[in-house]
Amino acid sequence: MISFTSDQRFIVTGASSGIGEGVALLLNELGADVIGIGRNIERLLSMREKAKYPEHMYIEQKDLSDDIESLPLYIKSLKEKYGKFQGMAYCAGKAMRQPVKIWDVNEAKEYFDINYFAPISMLKGFCDKRICNHGSSCVLISSASALLADKGHTIYAGSKAALSASVRSIAKEYAPYSIRANCILPTVIKTPMTSSRGDYLEEQSAKYPLGIGEVSDVANLVAFLLSEKARWITAQNYVVDCGSF
Amino acid sequence: MNQNEFLSAMEDVLQTEDTLSMDTILEDLVEWDSLSVMATMAFLDKNFGIKTTMSDYKTMKTIGDIAKKAGL
Repeated sequence: MISFTSDQRFIVTGASSGIGEGVALLLNELGADVIGIGRNIERLLSMREKAKYPEHMYIEQKDLSDDIESLPLYIKSLKEKYGKFQGMAYCAGKAMRQPVKIWDVNEAKEYFDINYFAPISMLKGFCDKRICNHGSSCVLISSASALLADKGHTIYAGSKAALSASVRSIAKEYAPYSIRANCILPTVIKTPMTSSRGDYLEEQSAKYPLGIGEVSDVANLVAFLLSEKARWITAQNYVVDCGSF
Repeated sequence: MNQNEFLSAMEDVLQTEDTLSMDTILEDLVEWDSLSVMATMAFLDKNFGIKTTMSDYKTMKTIGDIAKKAGL
């Protein structure tokens, strides 16, 4: 049984919907203090309304792709406001499907900003013993497409593969300080983002022997990796794809 | 970059809670490990265009020795 205490404080990005929202709500339910970061304040407020312990759910409106260079200072300001952190779940991200023939380098850079440079900059700020506790843990949501990408995912898969590769180096750099870092590589999960694409989920469902995954299927693994139960697990990439490949 | 800015930048490079001075002995800092040496090498290169090698750091004893290397 995984449980946290309210002096264990976690940053969850992308907390206003989808996987990030599920992670924020689950960590809160398991007893942790959660700082949920998202772009949309209305959705953050409605996420907090769903929290089991709203008094331990804090929300921060922020677009992480805006001024990526300053994210370590942003984390420092959060530490001054709330105290030291026990972990971070980076769930913010942007997906797209477009064939490479309409590839546009500037648009591609926007995807790398939010899917790659922003999480690395957040890790740079977080992995600092002035900011986080001994034994802290970071979980980054990558994507199964980092390993096996469908057509139309050239840029998205590239940005996630970059993240999955970098986590191994970062984990080694910070292991001496007992800070862990792991990636989770989910496949298509039922979220507002994927549900908004018409029949997309229905088309995909035949690929998954156990049916389409739910947010909680990913969130439970995030909670485990953030917990002390996973103290010996670092630098890993966990595929959560129900055997679809 | 002046000497005070250098000290403050080195506190971030080493991610130390100690306040650094030019007399701070490197070996006295728990943060002074191989990763910090690597970070310091990159810091000197990026900010001062100074290339250093691992062996340079064997002869450096204090933060001031690093500042000297940077030309401060």
